[in-house]
Amino acid sequence: MQDPRLRLLSVALLSLAAFASTAGAAAALVWWLLFTPRMKSLPRPGVLLPLVAMIAATALVSSWGGGAGLSYLFRMTVILLLAAWAYAETEDGEMLAVAVWALGNRVGFEAGLVAEMGISGLSVLRQEIEQVRTAIALKGIRPGVRSVVPLAVTLIVTQIRRADEIARLLVVRGYTIGGRICPRFRADPLDVPAAIMAVIPALLSTLPLRDVFILVG
Amino acid sequence: MDLVFSRDSFTLRGSGIFGEGVHLVSGPVGSGKSTLALLLAGLLRPESGTVRRHGVLSADLLLQFPEHHITCPTVAGEAASWGLVPEDALALAELSGRADDDPFHLSRGELKRLTLACTLLKNPDLLLLDEPFSSLDCTTKRKACGMLEERDAGITIVFSHERAVLPRVDAIWEMEGGVLAARGSVPDAIPSWRHAPPYLRYALEQGARPVNIRLSDAREALCRIRG
Repeated sequence: MQDPRLRLLSVALLSLAAFASTAGAAAALVWWLLFTPRMKSLPRPGVLLPLVAMIAATALVSSWGGGAGLSYLFRMTVILLLAAWAYAETEDGEMLAVAVWALGNRVGFEAGLVAEMGISGLSVLRQEIEQVRTAIALKGIRPGVRSVVPLAVTLIVTQIRRADEIARLLVVRGYTIGGRICPRFRADPLDVPAAIMAVIPALLSTLPLRDVFILVG
Repeated sequence: MDLVFSRDSFTLRGSGIFGEGVHLVSGPVGSGKSTLALLLAGLLRPESGTVRRHGVLSADLLLQFPEHHITCPTVAGEAASWGLVPEDALALAELSGRADDDPFHLSRGELKRLTLACTLLKNPDLLLLDEPFSSLDCTTKRKACGMLEERDAGITIVFSHERAVLPRVDAIWEMEGGVLAARGSVPDAIPSWRHAPPYLRYALEQGARPVNIRLSDAREALCRIRG
């Protein structure tokens, strides 16, 4: 999907559908299978598996407490697949362009700039995690619970410091509020049908299934 | 070592043997020195070929950017994370009063001093130093050179584009465009060293033959021919 406006809309609708109900999540999964490059859009196992493990752990705790753990695992995994696809498809400047298109050069520019900084922060964070992995390998530290806390503190401090540096840099360059860009979007012939189809899971998640289908039994 | 490594459009090729002593791998920025250091440290895998180690039981790499080494929220903790007694490392790095500080609050030069002190104190059989002199002032560079020269055993490989303050070395290598070339043992290698510092070039042009690559060696060689 090339048009970032339709991609963002589709992801929002499908994520809401997947979050709202298992049926919505199942429909969103079908959409993901039909309209995305599927496995090609997933990050490498070293990134994906820990995220799935975190969701599974929460689902397990939920099940223990009598909650719908399996449903939670399925719904969150579908949201993760959608997020991975959206992240893989997003190109630099797209969020800024969409925000300016939707909300104008003042509020839209601000919101878009924050979104761009957030997305670029993700890739920086990934690099920093790699650097920390290199550092602990060099120091011969065994990865474990005791080493995770100082590493997490280091990563958080680095992110806060980077955000502060970027803010100062913007001030130094004379940035106050808003900006002007002329957003242009590319589109694929399949973009509109895919976005329309994304409405179906959203509808399915809001309607009680018994009202739609005649259930026997 | 005999290897080929590729990433995007960059290809690194190198072969040779690093024996005991201090080796200088020089070359311009972006020529592949850091990549070679990572390959020799085993942190990158070559596309083809291999790095074989003989008699090397321990190895350490000083990364080019000292902040990439940080894994602890205090300076003392950072030194301890190298498996060292923090007081020793902090004393060598001249940071004794900064034990409880956040390592990110140190200047880059101070942080470089800390990481350099930690790698030198660990004294591994194979010591790889990627740009050990960057971010250091001249006095600290000279001190660092002195500490390198004091290492009396093991293999030390210095990857640097530094051309002003250098340690006494045993062999010179050059990286250019991703290709590693052995210039040979010092002093015979000095005339063929393409990235030689200006003071060495001047000494050679004057007909002097420095015994090593330091400024003092060039000066002594010039004094010898001028009487």
